[in-house]
Amino acid sequence: MPWYLYLALKQLFPTGRRFPFFTAISVLGVALGVAVLIISSSVMGGFGHKIREMTVDTQGDVQVRGDGLIADPAALQVQLMKIPGVVATTPFAEGPVAVIYQLKPQFPGLQGIDPNRIGNVIPLNRYITGGSLAALDDDSIILGSQLAIALGARLGDKVEVYSPLAFEKLRMSKGDEVFLPRELRVVGYFEFGHQALDGSVALVPLRAMQDLYGLGRAVHGINIKITHGLDADVMAERINAALPSPQHLRARSWIEINQDFLFVLQFERNMMFFLLMFIVVVAAFSVTSSLLIAVVRKTREIGLLGALGAKPRQVAACFCFQGFFIGVAGTLVGLGLGFGVLGVRDNIIEIFARITQSKAALLRFYQFSHLPSYTEPSYLVATIIGTIGISTLAGLLPAWRAAKLKPVEALRSE
Amino acid sequence: MSDAILSGRGLAKAYLSGDRRIEVLRGVDLEILPGESVSIRGESGSGKSTLLNLLSGLDTADSGELAWAGAPAHGDARARFLGMVFQSFYLIPEIDAFANVLMAARMLGAPGAVERARAKDLLARVGLAERATHLPSQLSGGERQRVAVARALLNSPRLLLADEPTGNLDEHTGDAVIELLLSLCRETGTALALVTHNVAHAKKTSRQLFLHEGKLSHG
Ligand SMILES: Nc1ncnc2c1ncn2[C@@H]1O[C@H](COP(=O)(O)OP(=O)(O)O)[C@@H](O)[C@H]1O
Ligand SMILES: [Mg+2]
Repeated sequence: MPWYLYLALKQLFPTGRRFPFFTAISVLGVALGVAVLIISSSVMGGFGHKIREMTVDTQGDVQVRGDGLIADPAALQVQLMKIPGVVATTPFAEGPVAVIYQLKPQFPGLQGIDPNRIGNVIPLNRYITGGSLAALDDDSIILGSQLAIALGARLGDKVEVYSPLAFEKLRMSKGDEVFLPRELRVVGYFEFGHQALDGSVALVPLRAMQDLYGLGRAVHGINIKITHGLDADVMAERINAALPSPQHLRARSWIEINQDFLFVLQFERNMMFFLLMFIVVVAAFSVTSSLLIAVVRKTREIGLLGALGAKPRQVAACFCFQGFFIGVAGTLVGLGLGFGVLGVRDNIIEIFARITQSKAALLRFYQFSHLPSYTEPSYLVATIIGTIGISTLAGLLPAWRAAKLKPVEALRSE
Repeated sequence: MSDAILSGRGLAKAYLSGDRRIEVLRGVDLEILPGESVSIRGESGSGKSTLLNLLSGLDTADSGELAWAGAPAHGDARARFLGMVFQSFYLIPEIDAFANVLMAARMLGAPGAVERARAKDLLARVGLAERATHLPSQLSGGERQRVAVARALLNSPRLLLADEPTGNLDEHTGDAVIELLLSLCRETGTALALVTHNVAHAKKTSRQLFLHEGKLSHG
């Protein structure tokens, strides 16, 4: 081992000292930063993962829409199924409606789905929290859980549904015709755990929706499930290439459809990561100041090293290595700490909920009793490289100071 | 070309202090023969340390020539050619006495069994065999200076430069350190240049010099 590494290690772990205080504090400071980075980026990653999962679960992997209506969905579905990578397809029609229950109106988006085929594309059953998807027929409706609460409608209750077409009919008939809304029985609730969906979406069979909107056999689009593991964007490209162009159809992946939202998610995570990185920077500053003090305190010994034949860059390496070592050790300890905490995160939440008596609220607002966690490799790598890099930089200023010392002057200093 | 182990000719050094120029050395000529011991005395501030720093190559002269063992002095050769002892001991506080001695060898490459054995032997010769694993903070001033002497001799230098090595020690301890220095140098055939205030110490060397007004003369 070169003398400067030997001396760096000895300064970090002095002979005969059972507890190296400076080293322990410095490593701990860096480790705390790393742990916070890992925990927060993993939990945020977990939420992001959940949200993405939910998005795919509600929209399918790829969606095909036309400029207007798709007149012959059955033919298009047959065509789509021939494209390699397409596993299943299901048509949908959608549009805003007024739903009234006991004089309370709500204006959700109504989705017309194929109750028999939708399960092949979207795992809707997983999100049905009351009643059943199988019970959905032409005279029934499934409400989002929040929508049901807002209406006050329960299973078996009948709600009235008006489509925008009703107003058109009213206008044409000039009021001398009695217009009757469609009466639908509530046969189920779904809950995706997403306010925007649970509070403002209702499901009916495709045929009912086509009736309400006067679509005939036409639909608005087709949801597609692709082979697991295939890239949704690549598949969308492939489907676009296979689609007949005159119909002005376009396939878009769920990633493309939600790119604004996904961008915000990613941006939030990156911003959070960037800000939390400052914990490491602050820890590094304290390492810098400790090492600077050490350089000043050791001025005469550094002079002596020069007299013994040390070169300035070796003296610099001695101090730089201390920063590097603190970075590496801090990263390792921090990773252990971070993943340790993530490992017992449910217990922590449990204790927190018990102390604050907020378990019910947590369950209600987050829908899951356990905290999601997903550590994205890129964040892990960024944490490790960032921390070791910053810590090494922290040793650079003291190293430069030490290397600048002239032995004669260092030895003279009293 | 003489067979001197060190030869300095016309060594001059001046410092700028503000706008005043202090000529500390005004042409010093000095030759040290192998194995010989030389003492240099002089008033405080007369330039003794400055001279030793020039001789060791730690500092460069404004003019003059310096040769080590017949070759022009070069910084890279210093660690093998000469050892240094200072008024302050400059031991590294984080490592024990043995490791401090071994540090001199470490600077020249990873120390092997030979270097370790020699470090142990030198510690024994300065009377600190039992204190090898003690940290500098656990040693007295005299003991620390003896560790520094062992360190200076580890690489078997041809010349030892000692700058007031007893300056921080009490009289009795100082006498012992000087005796040790002289006898070790005699045994190992190392030449010694000893800067001291103490006339008694100076008298024990084979040649006594005096630095006055920037010139070296026989005392
Ligand atoms: N780096 C320096 N800058 C300015 N003056 C110096 C410097 N080093 C030494 N001197 C001056 O040179 C003179 C000789 O110093 P020094 O060699 O340390 O004397 P001695 O060792 O004989 O006591 C003193 O007057 C001191 O103030
Ligand atoms: Mg002096």
